[in-house]
Amino acid sequence: MAKRDGARGGRHQRLADWLGPLVALVVMAGAFAIASPHFLTRNNLSSVAVQASAIAILAVAETLVIIAGGIDLGVGSVLALAGVAAAIAMSGGLAIPLACLAGLGCGLACGLTSGLLSTYGRMPSFIATLGVMGIARGTSLIVSGGENIFGLPGGFTELALVSWAGLPLPALVALAVAGLGHLLLTRTAFGRSVYAIGGNAEAARLSGIPVKRVVTIIFVISGLLAALSGLVLTSRLSIGQPTAGAGYELDAIAAAVIGGASLMGGQGTIPGALIGATIMGVLRNGCDLLHVPPFWQQVAIGVIIISAVFIDQFRRRR
Amino acid sequence: MRKWSLCVLVVTACCLAGCSRGQQPAAPPKLKIAVVPKAVAFDFWLSVKAGAERAGAEQGAEIIWKGPSDERDIATQIAILEDAINSRVDAIVMAACDSKALLTVVKKAKQAKIPLITIDSGVDDPTVPCVATDNLKGARIAAQTLAKLTGDRGKVGVIPFVAGALTSTLREKGFQEEIKAHRRMQVASTLYSESDAAKGMAVAEDMLTSIPDLAGIFAANEPGAIGAARALEQRKLAGRVKLVAFDAADSEIAALQRGTIQALIVQNPVQMGYQGVRLAVQAVRGEPVPARVDTGVTVVTRDNLDQPEIKAMLAKPGRR
Repeated sequence: MAKRDGARGGRHQRLADWLGPLVALVVMAGAFAIASPHFLTRNNLSSVAVQASAIAILAVAETLVIIAGGIDLGVGSVLALAGVAAAIAMSGGLAIPLACLAGLGCGLACGLTSGLLSTYGRMPSFIATLGVMGIARGTSLIVSGGENIFGLPGGFTELALVSWAGLPLPALVALAVAGLGHLLLTRTAFGRSVYAIGGNAEAARLSGIPVKRVVTIIFVISGLLAALSGLVLTSRLSIGQPTAGAGYELDAIAAAVIGGASLMGGQGTIPGALIGATIMGVLRNGCDLLHVPPFWQQVAIGVIIISAVFIDQFRRRR
Repeated sequence: MRKWSLCVLVVTACCLAGCSRGQQPAAPPKLKIAVVPKAVAFDFWLSVKAGAERAGAEQGAEIIWKGPSDERDIATQIAILEDAINSRVDAIVMAACDSKALLTVVKKAKQAKIPLITIDSGVDDPTVPCVATDNLKGARIAAQTLAKLTGDRGKVGVIPFVAGALTSTLREKGFQEEIKAHRRMQVASTLYSESDAAKGMAVAEDMLTSIPDLAGIFAANEPGAIGAARALEQRKLAGRVKLVAFDAADSEIAALQRGTIQALIVQNPVQMGYQGVRLAVQAVRGEPVPARVDTGVTVVTRDNLDQPEIKAMLAKPGRR
């Protein structure tokens, strides 16, 4: 039980949590660096950071939800909906900031729905978010008429190209989100309550934590982050794609788990999730550079997920 | 009170029954034709829909348009088609998500004596009529176009979409076969876009990274084209690395006008939908149906974009 307690001795233990995945990432990156002369170039590392950013933002969202003991299957579809909503608003003449707010609003609505259904609605979050996934995806297709929305203002599509310290905006957004998420989880009472709820919801409730409210807020955050990821992706692609983000929810969950989150709840870290997302991005990029057939990439990711969880469980048992 | 409500109910039911009977004209019932694309999104399929509905209007057939939201979602497409067969539609026009997996549905349709026509992507059954682009030929034309653009030398990359989808495989094959005939050219990388623009962009970026002297890219459909175009523009390589792509979505035409895409291999999806439905009606009437109809491709460049025939072909019927 002491291991599940977020507050006591937590920080030290959580450091060890994501050290394993970090070592794995370094080893993998090292292997690719040796196998391909193009891997460690500035251009490529920048590409990898950007390519992994969409999943990274979703992985932060997913980690928060998973630690609280739930799961959010809707993040990929909410990503698409927010992107499409913002794109339609922008191409219709609405100012960029307002259009982005519209997109974020979609994320908020979806997150609120998932949250309320999972708490006051007493539904398993798996089912609630599965429903939201379908509704969000369907809505994106309806409002876009099934077409990609293009002709977005240059001011918006240029945003994804803005660079600082060698990192393009999508990667910076992912890092900022991860930083804020990490602070939320480790430095606030709210964060501690999230771990407590995931560890033992009933005990948390009895100790005065407003479980339903906290969990609902977590889902709202997840929805907002999914929407943010959708806006970032829309800027990067310069189109609103109703079919975007298909399967991203599973990648996000995989990243969280590789980073040390437990689907039982009560465990997980943001740095771990970030490393998990980076591992998947590096794997895909490395395989592309080495011309490894794409199907083998999928096998590799599956193997890595299983290995990560297996090693983690083994370590905890000792 | 109860008797009175019962009366109201009976009268209402009679009225409704009478109304519905009154609406049906004395003419023969409309044919119901299920048109099932690989996905309901993408410009391409919406053009197919427009063509199908135009033929439906001409032939007096009702078009039931249903498909998965993802071209890779074979299971959903099979389910949609089985539902169509079970609800006894008069004919089915479909674009197969997978040339082999959909054979089970083809068998069921034959058993139920429902004529089935494939469009765009066929199945591995020569007895099923197919209205499509000759994708092998189209891809060869794409390769020839790219070869001309690169001065007939250099390394090129291919971005097909879904391995296992017949159109993707044929375009990949056609392109590679044609490039083999060009001695000083080589296909240096083949990465799949999975019909997702984000993936298309990521693989295009990785291709450009792993092959610094890449001369050209062939994107086999819209999402790959959009992704590759965006990747080239971000790396300031637009125009230097030549890009040839299939299809003519609005965003692709815009990229053509900007000079990021040098040539578009434009299919005729409107004709596919149109001819598919027409053949379906012929089959229902018991008339003979040709085994293959090639709807052809046109090479569109910035130079011929303004010609009237090209403009007419690119016009999007009935959409915004």
